[in-house]
Amino acid sequence: MNKIKPLAFKCFAALMFIMAIPSMKAMAQKLSDPEIAHVAVTANKIDISYAEIAKQKTKDPEVIKFANMMATDHQSVINQAIALVTKLHVTPKDNAVSKKYMADAEKTKKMLRSKSGKVFDKAYIDNEVAYHKAVINAVQNVLIAQAQNAELKGLLEKVMPTLKAHLQHAEMVQSNFNGHGGHKM
Amino acid sequence: MGMAVIKCRLLGLMLLVFLLYGCTSGTQSEQRTAPAVEKPKYEVYTVNIKDMKFVPDTLTVKKGDKIYFVNRDLVNHCVTEHSKAWTSGPIQPNGEYLLVADKSSEYYCAIHTIMKGKIIVQDK
Repeated sequence: MNKIKPLAFKCFAALMFIMAIPSMKAMAQKLSDPEIAHVAVTANKIDISYAEIAKQKTKDPEVIKFANMMATDHQSVINQAIALVTKLHVTPKDNAVSKKYMADAEKTKKMLRSKSGKVFDKAYIDNEVAYHKAVINAVQNVLIAQAQNAELKGLLEKVMPTLKAHLQHAEMVQSNFNGHGGHKM
Repeated sequence: MGMAVIKCRLLGLMLLVFLLYGCTSGTQSEQRTAPAVEKPKYEVYTVNIKDMKFVPDTLTVKKGDKIYFVNRDLVNHCVTEHSKAWTSGPIQPNGEYLLVADKSSEYYCAIHTIMKGKIIVQDK
C-alpha cells in the first residue's frame, strides 16, 4: 500500500507533464510582434467570454461585480491594443499560442456552462484566479520578453498592474467563498 | 515753393509728435491702471491614478484647495467617497476629475474596490 502512493503520485506527475507539453511547446516558439498582439487580444477576449457566462449564470452580487469589472477592463485593454497596432500599421497574426488559449478556453467554457448556483460561482472564481496567474506569467515571461517594438512592450508592461489587481481581487472573492472572509470589500 | 515744403515738414513733425505722445501716454495710462495680479486663494494638487493605485494615497490640503484626479491607467477608474457622499463617475484613461476640498474624506475606486485613498482637509 505504501508503494502504491508514490507510484500513483509519479503517474499523476507524468500525466500533468504530458498535458503541459503542448502549452510549453507553443510558448517556447519565438513570437513576432503581430503574433504577440494577437495573443494579447485573444487572452483579453477569453476573459470577457468567461465574464459573459458569469453574468448569465450567477446571482451573487460579488461575482456579478467582478464579472462586470473583467468585461469592462479587458475591453478597455483590447481597445488600447487595437489603437496601438493601428498606429503601428501592424495586423495581429494568429499563431500556436493563441490557438492553444482558444482551445483551452472552449473546454473551460464547457465546464462553466455545466455548473450552476454556488458551484458555478466557485468554479468561475477559481478559474479566474488560475487564468490570471497563467496570463500574468505569459505576459511577463513570453510577451514582454519577446516584444521588439518599444510601444508594444510598454503597453504590455502597463497591463501588468491591472492583471495583478484582478488576481488580487479574485483571490479575495475566492477567500470569502472558502470561509476566510477577512477581506470584505 | 520753399514755404510749402517747410509747412509740409512742420505738419509732418506735429503729426509725429502727436502720435508719439499718444502712444506713450497710452502706455503710461495702462501701467497706472493695470490691476495687480492676484495670487490664487487656493493651491492645486494632482492625485495620479496609476498602476491601479492612487498616488499619493494620502493628501493633506487646506479647505478650498483644488485636487485633480488624473487617470493614467489603461482602464476606467472612479473616485467615490467612503459613504458614497460624492463620486466622480467613471474616469476614462487620460481623463480627470476635479474635486474642491471641503472636508476630510476616505475614498475608493468603486470599480476596483481594492484601490483606496484619503484626503485630509485642514482649516485655513
